[in-house]
Amino acid sequence: MNQAELEVAKLLDYYGIRWEYEPRSFVLETDEQGRVVEAMTPDFYLPDQDLYLEVTTMKQSLVTRKNRKIRKLRERYPNLNVKLFYKRDIERLEGKYGLDLAS
Amino acid sequence: MGDVFLPAAEIHKRVTELGAAITADYSDREPLLVGVLRPAVVFVADLSRTVGIPHALDFVSLAGYGRALGGHSHVRLMKDLDAPVGGRDVVICDLTVDTGLTLNYLVGHLRLRDPASVVACILLDRPYRRLVDDLPVRYVGFTVPDEFYVGYGFDLDQRYRGLPDIRVVKTR
Repeated sequence: MNQAELEVAKLLDYYGIRWEYEPRSFVLETDEQGRVVEAMTPDFYLPDQDLYLEVTTMKQSLVTRKNRKIRKLRERYPNLNVKLFYKRDIERLEGKYGLDLAS
Repeated sequence: MGDVFLPAAEIHKRVTELGAAITADYSDREPLLVGVLRPAVVFVADLSRTVGIPHALDFVSLAGYGRALGGHSHVRLMKDLDAPVGGRDVVICDLTVDTGLTLNYLVGHLRLRDPASVVACILLDRPYRRLVDDLPVRYVGFTVPDEFYVGYGFDLDQRYRGLPDIRVVKTR
């Protein structure tokens, strides 16, 4: 578990939300022989919310690649509830903000 | 301090509509409006004055994650309700909800005390950031973008809560 995932685990514990770490991988693409060429393992599963969470420490504007994967995941598994958890979400709950006070 | 996102007049109009909705929904009851300290103070004060039926006011304060962690590994109430809520119709009033983690905790905590009902009245909703979906959010003022706001209860290092408008502060 990396630092950002650890922080999210602590956060979920703090609010009493049950979680599982990387419990399942999802196939996104296979080749002609049926071999897996792309897969995704969301970082957390919240069983009470039936929700998969993928954590990213990148700024919201820089997560195109992850967003593409999530989009693919949703296309392939339309009933799956999956969300990206941004650095900003963690910062907001911690009460820390990268503010431009000159604005 | 940032550009005006919601002018005072627009906030007042919407808060009045929320008060009218609560008045209609609880016409034969006496709800308890529970404000979440400190952000919701301004909102609850305004909302209360637009609710045209007898109602009570109370406040709670929660130790937010990070800011007041202080060695505690679980969320807890810094200030509990003064009055019992058993059998009461509770309307939690908060300024905003995004992940829903705080509201989810508060709703669960209050439900343990056997209220007649618990719903939430939120001024600014950011539903796309929600981690907990099954929240009893019955009243929503505005659905807003993922920005940092000051004014009308929103603070920056405890300042600017008293600004009459809601303003957007740019983030890096």
